[in-house]
Amino acid sequence: MRRYVIVGIALATISLLVWVITGAFGKDPHAVPFMLNGKPAPNFTIKRLDTGEQVSLQQFAGKPVVLNFWATWCGPCASEHPVLEWGAKRWKDQVTFLGIVFEDSEDNTKQFLARNGWSLTQLFDAKSTVAVDYGVAGVPETYFITRDGKILFKYAAPLDQMTLAKGISEIIK
Amino acid sequence: MTAPLALLLVTLAQSGYAPTRMGLAPLEQQQEERVQRLGKQLRCPVCQGVSIADSPSSMARAQLDKVRELVKEGKSDQEIYDFFVSRYGEWILMEPTKAGLNAVLWVGPVLLLLFGISVVVLLSRRQRGAVDVTFGTTAAEPNPSAPPPAHADAKPAPAPAMADDDPFLAQVRADLEK
Repeated sequence: MRRYVIVGIALATISLLVWVITGAFGKDPHAVPFMLNGKPAPNFTIKRLDTGEQVSLQQFAGKPVVLNFWATWCGPCASEHPVLEWGAKRWKDQVTFLGIVFEDSEDNTKQFLARNGWSLTQLFDAKSTVAVDYGVAGVPETYFITRDGKILFKYAAPLDQMTLAKGISEIIK
Repeated sequence: MTAPLALLLVTLAQSGYAPTRMGLAPLEQQQEERVQRLGKQLRCPVCQGVSIADSPSSMARAQLDKVRELVKEGKSDQEIYDFFVSRYGEWILMEPTKAGLNAVLWVGPVLLLLFGISVVVLLSRRQRGAVDVTFGTTAAEPNPSAPPPAHADAKPAPAPAMADDDPFLAQVRADLEK
């Protein structure tokens, strides 16, 4: 009887260890979890860089939104900029493209956009409050928001054309 | 020497940089102490194992500003933690909560230690019992392999009760009595 108890406890312990180890494998320990998938996109009201007027997310309700957080000092953001320029022109009538610059200065941003193209509506998050509200954990990060205002998913890496096209096909369904 | 230095300076001047941004002004002492205490419990997402109160990064400052804003609004500690957990999950907490599956983290090591101790105790008891049965002796009894007593008429020590059924020991005992 005692032997069965010991074997049972040993099996339970080994099962627990196997469960913990297999659960941990294949996961990036440095990856920051994201909890807003499927949740309503937090509203914001921040300054539009070209006109200086205040813009809120609610203004774009009823249309899918691609929301890109970026900064001029971020190399990967510069490399994905042409992809976003391409996407903003390609899906001009179906999707709203918004860029949110944070952890940066207005002057730097305007100079960058003058050099590299300004097809997206660019907004300036002066105190990074919108970035914190969206659970941003680095740059660049792109949020795909459905027409009913829910975050379908976020892409936390520089976009390429295929990823952007795939994300858009999911939010314009 | 001058040329590489000049090249380095030009490269640095042309490369991008993240402008430093000052955080919000501290609140009143009591509220600011609370902000710092809460900030020490929240992990900086762009650092390595550092809280937002200890990180010099601009993003961490922005998050600490959010804590200030929520403290100013009169939110409770739990509501402030919930705000960050709802965005970054429990990963954001420097100390995991002691509820649900996390309880395994807190109780598991203690249970494993107790289990290990009980296994060691059980095995050592069993081993001692096996030694006693094999040699038919206890620590207080004389060693059977030791030389016989000096007196010729001295009787050998009585065998322990447990070994009475052992035919080998019975034979040895009979030979000694001859």
